[in-house]
Amino acid sequence: MIKFEIDGKKIQAKSGSTIIEAADAAGVDVSHIPRFCYHSKLSIAASCRMCLVEVENGRKPLPACATTVTAGMKIYTKSHQAMQAQKEVMSFLLINHPLDCPICDQGGECELQDLSMGYGRTSTSFIEGKRSIKDKDIGPLIATEMTRCIHCTRCVRFCSEIAGLRELGILGRGEHSEISTYVEHSMQSELAGNIIDLCPVGALTSKPFRFKARAWELRARAGIAGHDCLGSNINIHIKRESDSQPERIMRVVSRTNEKLNETWLSDRDRFSYTGLYHADRLARPMIKQIGKWQETDWETALTVATQKLQNVIAQNGAQAVGGLISPNSTVEECYLFQAWLRSLGVPHIDHRIRQSDFDHQIQSPLVWSTCKCVQSLEETTSFLLIGSFIREEQPLITSRIRKATQGGARVHVINPVDFDFHLTLTNRCIVSPWGMVCSLAAIAQVLFGNDKKKLNIMPKPIAELIRQQKPNTVEHDIARDLQQDKAPLILLGALAQAHPYFSYLRVLSETIAIEIGAKTLHLTDSANEAGAWLATALPHRRIDGVSIKEPGYNAKAMLAKTLKSYCLFGLEPTYDSAYPELARTALQQAECVIVCSAFKNKAMLEYADVLLPIATHLENEGSFVNIEGTRQSFQRSVNKPFAEARCGWKVLRVLANFMGRPGFDYQTVLELSSELSRNLENDLQSEHIPPVDFKPLPTVSDNTVWRCGYWPIYRNDSLVRRAEPLQVLTVEQDLAKLRLGAALATHLKVNNGDRVSVSSDHPDAKPVTLQVLIDQRIADATVCLPSGLPDIAINGPLSVVRITT
Amino acid sequence: MSLSFAKRQINSLLLLELFRGLSITGRVFLTRAITIRYPEEDTPISPRFRGMLALRRYANGEERCIGCRLCEAACPALAITIEADVRSDGSRRTTIYDIDAFKCMHCGFCEEACPVDAIVLTSEMHYHMEARGENIFTKDKLLAIGDLYEEKIAQDREKDNA
Amino acid sequence: MSSEEQIIQLTPEICQAIDQWVLKYPPEQKRSAVLAGLRIIQRAYGWLSDERMRALAEYLDLPPMDVYEVASFYSMYERKPIGRYKLAVCMNISCHLCGSDNIIKHLESRLGICMGETTSDGLFTLRRAECLAACTDAPILQVDDRDYYKRVTPEIIDQVLEQLHQAGRKKGRDDAT
Repeated sequence: MIKFEIDGKKIQAKSGSTIIEAADAAGVDVSHIPRFCYHSKLSIAASCRMCLVEVENGRKPLPACATTVTAGMKIYTKSHQAMQAQKEVMSFLLINHPLDCPICDQGGECELQDLSMGYGRTSTSFIEGKRSIKDKDIGPLIATEMTRCIHCTRCVRFCSEIAGLRELGILGRGEHSEISTYVEHSMQSELAGNIIDLCPVGALTSKPFRFKARAWELRARAGIAGHDCLGSNINIHIKRESDSQPERIMRVVSRTNEKLNETWLSDRDRFSYTGLYHADRLARPMIKQIGKWQETDWETALTVATQKLQNVIAQNGAQAVGGLISPNSTVEECYLFQAWLRSLGVPHIDHRIRQSDFDHQIQSPLVWSTCKCVQSLEETTSFLLIGSFIREEQPLITSRIRKATQGGARVHVINPVDFDFHLTLTNRCIVSPWGMVCSLAAIAQVLFGNDKKKLNIMPKPIAELIRQQKPNTVEHDIARDLQQDKAPLILLGALAQAHPYFSYLRVLSETIAIEIGAKTLHLTDSANEAGAWLATALPHRRIDGVSIKEPGYNAKAMLAKTLKSYCLFGLEPTYDSAYPELARTALQQAECVIVCSAFKNKAMLEYADVLLPIATHLENEGSFVNIEGTRQSFQRSVNKPFAEARCGWKVLRVLANFMGRPGFDYQTVLELSSELSRNLENDLQSEHIPPVDFKPLPTVSDNTVWRCGYWPIYRNDSLVRRAEPLQVLTVEQDLAKLRLGAALATHLKVNNGDRVSVSSDHPDAKPVTLQVLIDQRIADATVCLPSGLPDIAINGPLSVVRITT
Repeated sequence: MSLSFAKRQINSLLLLELFRGLSITGRVFLTRAITIRYPEEDTPISPRFRGMLALRRYANGEERCIGCRLCEAACPALAITIEADVRSDGSRRTTIYDIDAFKCMHCGFCEEACPVDAIVLTSEMHYHMEARGENIFTKDKLLAIGDLYEEKIAQDREKDNA
Repeated sequence: MSSEEQIIQLTPEICQAIDQWVLKYPPEQKRSAVLAGLRIIQRAYGWLSDERMRALAEYLDLPPMDVYEVASFYSMYERKPIGRYKLAVCMNISCHLCGSDNIIKHLESRLGICMGETTSDGLFTLRRAECLAACTDAPILQVDDRDYYKRVTPEIIDQVLEQLHQAGRKKGRDDAT
């Protein structure tokens, strides 16, 4: 610690810290140093010179952001010299800045506006012409007004340091310098929206929010982002009800939480609100009567739903009903959903709509493995990433890993496609989905050698698989690096979870982890997967954690077995399910499909019988359990969700009431939460878990072609799919093509632009005709065709597919 | 006591107070009248008079209002409702600009707040409504009032600035 | 996934020339060779196209933006096609006093173009230059950033233009662009 003085007050700070850091740590009571280019999360540029302060015995004012404190230093931030310097800098900054605050969206929340009130002069001595810069089109998310730019370079530094993609730069020099992408294109980064928050002036503003409201008429409510498992903290900005408009969510900005999202927010979390008032939004409950849809009130809709469901149960028993809930629902909703269905005797309850392999479910822990602390990812030095387009799945966790790699951490990847993560990868195994399992087994073989003892205690097929492998150099390198590292981290992504041999991947990665002292971490692509496990929206486990002797159907079986009735909550199975084809047929043939959803779609209108509108996570109340295992509660941001929509837990509660189930008398979400908490506190009974039968190894021939059907970042859930600005980006990516490597193209005798039919490997599967695009990043014997796209329904995101030319 | 009583008696017998009053009447009878025949005639009013509201345009016909919402924020009676959006040419314009004449108290804060002199209070005070809902002055109505009174508004502003 | 862009590769000769510069710097600081690399490409093709700058960035393992920034910072890198010969006349004080504006006027009338423009036959581009550090021989005409013509007069200009004209016609335009 170093002792020094700011404005006559004695202060201590860590050695090596800069004046501005020390002053900020001491708090505003001590002093506030004005700044533009300085940002605590970015490197130091010292280019704006707004933070000039006087230092005793200094020849001239020094920039506080770039000067480190020394013992006994005497700093004056309000002295004549300091104030003079700051005022002069301000007048230079204002030389070229237009006086267009009234039409500037930053007006009212602008750092330049604020500081010019304190340091600006009333008039300027600059009479020459002002500079003006042509605006750049950098995509559907960010509006530019580059004449307003003061060249603080925060956005430039953000892109290269945090987003890992140097998309913006300073071009030209002197008066001609400007921030630009040089070659005009939409910004590719999935974190680009942060530069809106970073920009201290109105040069970069939100395009969807453009001119819609002013900062002073918005009220902020704390919320939790609901599109990935990080649970970023957000502020939801709401405009009050007026004569012309009901209360509306106008935008979402980040809320600082050092542990999770720091000050950042991914574009998906930031702009998903634009889908809230989409034409597809369900405004009122709807019932289908004699094939025709009609809007109705809640009472009627609930009565109809109750009658239909009770009819099915009376005729076919509760066994004929299946319940599917979105893993993006709150813990409370998951809990009520399973409690309601179980009270009716329904055994088939699941939230794992994207999983294909459930073999290992009985041995799964109560909660997905969580990492104690997301911050600690930055200190990890070796990562093994299995089956994940992590940059799209978990944008902000990727930025933590990126920070780790900047400090020298090594990242090894096993993926079916060489996805671009915008970070330096040490080793990559780009192999077919089955190859992923083999690669992992090969790594295990390098680690275990032919240690018979260890192999014997493993399940037979896995030991067999490890024995078969002939590790190549990359696998050798990965294994050795993991072995040498103190605490490596094995990350299993959404593609691993959707893998038809997920149980293999899981057991292998856990075995490896135990061998080398690593940790495994499941990165789920939904907001509340961990919470859904805790609340046991599962077919095989009760709320007290006890396994059910004869578990109900899992998500896949439920669709494959074609039940008489389905209850869907927050889902669009034709987009969200790993088995969209199965889902469509199963739901079409069902007698009664009750859907609680915020949005409707064409397929839903065909298969559903009752549509109950619910709130989206931005309007909802409840809690999400994130990757850290932290349960983050949030309250309703708006007084009332959109139109007649209601919070999901209320709908479930009233459904239970209508069906005459006792015990569903919660008045507030808090009552529900505390009951749930009590249930979770119960001591979990230790039980004997029988060994699992693993499915046999597949027979892989030379002609087997696998599909990699990842969910693109902006096709991940209903709300994001309705967010128009984000969909523009999806369209730009041109995803509805069959991408394959050159080797496979030669094998299949197809060329770029040819049209081929693709279908899942099932005799009745309906083929989809697509254009071929040869892409070197795709592994051998693999085609890349994303899931969640309209009009492309192929079962199994990582299964074998048939291709006919 | 008795003396003042006698004085009062004499005054009233001689009708002195009556004549004093009539003398004033007679004087005023001969001077020029200061009343006017309202509504046929108008009193002169200050160029700063705060009457009916209007939205002005530039000489080229472009509306002045840029949808900054400062008037809305300044209005103490919450009489102004604005919705803004991007117009097809990319500029910031209002889609809704409503003033509730029942709420408006003609304080003129909106005019003070306006950076482009779009919202103004005209010197017109003779206006009325005939049906419910007419108290809401919409954007079209306000612009029409502006067009109608532009000459007078400009004159008033010039006089005030001089 | 962005669609694949057409990638232009640098020729082996250019790569070789750049390699010599790369060797002069520590291996982890390949970016130091950006200036030299841009100069080599400009000499070969006359100007710097976006694709070639991107190719250079790829060759040096840098984000393309690093190269764009450098190229736009220095005024002697041409980011748009120019004439076969770049004629630059110094406009600073010494040359100015010795009549550089007459030289420019003469050039403009001879070539039929204004300052900054290129002749229609694509042979000459006229530029102004800041001090070329040859004040003793003012006024100075610089051709293609390399060749200096000292104490130029309208007569010398005519000779130079004639020479360049013939040489240029003989060689024809460098079709590499």
